[in-house]
Amino acid sequence: MITFLLIIHSLAAVTLLGALTHQTISVLWPARQRTGSFVSSLRSVPSMTYTNAIIVLYVLTAIVGSLVYPEYRLSVRTTLHDFRLYGPEGAFELKEHMISIGLGLLPAYWYYWKYAGAKEQAATRTIVTGLLAAIVWYGFLTGHVLNNIRGFGS
Amino acid sequence: MTIARANAARALPVFSIAFAAIYIASVNYNLALLTYHPQLGQWAVLVDPPKEGPAMYWYGWLLTSALGAGAVAALSLALPARPVERASAVLVWLVPVAMIALIGYILRGYFLR
Repeated sequence: MITFLLIIHSLAAVTLLGALTHQTISVLWPARQRTGSFVSSLRSVPSMTYTNAIIVLYVLTAIVGSLVYPEYRLSVRTTLHDFRLYGPEGAFELKEHMISIGLGLLPAYWYYWKYAGAKEQAATRTIVTGLLAAIVWYGFLTGHVLNNIRGFGS
Repeated sequence: MTIARANAARALPVFSIAFAAIYIASVNYNLALLTYHPQLGQWAVLVDPPKEGPAMYWYGWLLTSALGAGAVAALSLALPARPVERASAVLVWLVPVAMIALIGYILRGYFLR
């Protein structure tokens, strides 16, 4: 069951990472016109349509992650401690807190995409989106590395 | 979009700002409203010391932060809209970035051993 949940967690995280990276690129580096190239297509996605999907995916990933978390505390973290792998252990602790702060950031993220004026809050919207993307990238890479050190079911 | 709904929505950035600050305070001072004992599969109210195996406070910190931030956001609706919106536009990213830096500092022991 834990392995199944971990796979769901990973798949949701990959989808979230893709959507959020697309949105971040399109707000940081918007295309003036679509030329048909891959890079141009990447830069010209309709950013606003991603917002609700990103929130749902973030919450889903966090919920499934919270279900897997007790198993991490009981088996994976103990192993990290036994082998004195303090760096990876600390990296996961930081991930836990960054993901939590990102979870709290979602209402503001939604507000700046849906309610705030298009021009007057553009900078805030861009920074909040970039910050959320950085949090998700950090969480994804840390989770991936930790799983490679001592995966579930190993 | 009704005016009342849009007016209430301006509390959302305040929620995010307060959440980040309360969360880090909860972690640092262990202000968890719930404790989970994964070895036993048991929940406890408030901070409960480890019994068999570790105690998990993360769920409790999230609950503390969500309730605290909800209260702060609700109170912010009583303040004038324009100044709150202006301050929120900066604090909404500045506070989470500062809190991430602070938690990195709190956790520095893991990386300096």
